[in-house]
Amino acid sequence: EINLMDELTLKGITQYYAFVQERQKVHCLNTLFSKLQINQSIIFCNSTQRVELLAKKITELGYSCYYIHAKMAQAHRNRVFHDFRAGLCRNLVCSDLFTRGIDIQAVNVVINFDFPKMAETYLHRIGRSGRFGHLGVAINLITYDDRFALHRIEQELGTEIRPIPRDIDKSLYVAEFHQEEENEES
Amino acid sequence: QHQEGSAELTNPIEAEMDKISFIFNNLSLMNLTAKTDDIKEVLKIDENLMHAKWLAQYLVMKRASIEPNFHALYSQFLVVLKSERLYDEVIKETYKNIGILLRADKSMANFSDRSLLKNLGHWLGLMLLARNKPILMVDLDMKHLIIEAYHGGQQEKQQELLYVVPFVAKVLESAAKSKVFKPPCPWTTGLMNILAELHAEPDLKLNLKFEIEVLCKTLNLEISELRPGNALKDYQRLGKLLDIKGFGMNTSQQLPSLQKPMMEEMKGFKQDN
Repeated sequence: EINLMDELTLKGITQYYAFVQERQKVHCLNTLFSKLQINQSIIFCNSTQRVELLAKKITELGYSCYYIHAKMAQAHRNRVFHDFRAGLCRNLVCSDLFTRGIDIQAVNVVINFDFPKMAETYLHRIGRSGRFGHLGVAINLITYDDRFALHRIEQELGTEIRPIPRDIDKSLYVAEFHQEEENEES
Repeated sequence: QHQEGSAELTNPIEAEMDKISFIFNNLSLMNLTAKTDDIKEVLKIDENLMHAKWLAQYLVMKRASIEPNFHALYSQFLVVLKSERLYDEVIKETYKNIGILLRADKSMANFSDRSLLKNLGHWLGLMLLARNKPILMVDLDMKHLIIEAYHGGQQEKQQELLYVVPFVAKVLESAAKSKVFKPPCPWTTGLMNILAELHAEPDLKLNLKFEIEVLCKTLNLEISELRPGNALKDYQRLGKLLDIKGFGMNTSQQLPSLQKPMMEEMKGFKQDN
């Protein structure tokens, strides 16, 4: 749990974007949740209000979700994060408060419900820290206004964010299909 | 190879599968009852045997085998669902997949097969032992599995044990939760004695020793209190075992050199008759 690595990596994360209108976002989220195989997911919004709104909305739609944002008391945040990590709930809606990447192995899907403005924010949301760079898929919902930010962040991070295909190959984010390179023996 | 036998299933239509995906992606202890009702409504597994089979396969292959963090949840899901048919299908499916993985080539370092096996082992233990139900020898003979693995795998020594020992340890973990199977249950103790015998092997890989020690701790046993026999080196029994079951191996080639003379004798014996 204590992670001394300062470097975040996008290695092992397959990144996609879906071009949507603002009002299609929730519908798009529903589609993703019907097509992907999610162990646990984190869904990022750009503001605390939007976190609360989205969490409320999708809870009504039958999602299992918690939310967490920067304006909540630290004790409360710890509690939510702890329970999420323990698997009491499958999905977490949140704003930007992780500064070292997400170190929960069970999280195999990260969704940028709102696309961030800064490359650093993107890296903190999507990037994983630690030796292995766990497998995962990141999906960015991109609106017309986000199009330049998408391009810029891609450039700045030297990474590739591709349009989402109809079917996403499960081996890209479902951990056990992965052949670990690391030799764990003796 | 994992998909074997799925052709005969009449799968639910895509919209139904999407709904099931959605439900499982959102299943948690808090909404278990509601979501279970939703699944019943979508698949009607009580009326539709094919759907029950499909759901069992989905649960085992797509969920239990790769999401060990939710094993307790999925086990509870089956309790809430209360469908004997589905439970039976899940057990069948679990054995089937374990069988496929155990029969697959174990000579290489295939980490994904190993972790799938571990996960399914834990799942099997939870489905049976934790519910005070036995693992029958006809379905899975773990004692023979260990003995076979101990003698198999020539290229890389102990390669098969790297698959089998963690698997068996994961299965037996659930004995701790069982009234029937927790030590001193003779079935469990018998297996633990073989593991203790293996543990005493001087050149056993360290991570396998750890697996056995951790299991002992889980079961509240002291490894020193176990009574290792000589099942691993009971060549007479081994000969019989290999002869009768074959284990899908070419015995004369795969046996360690130590064994060769005895196998030669057996061959001679067979020819005479």
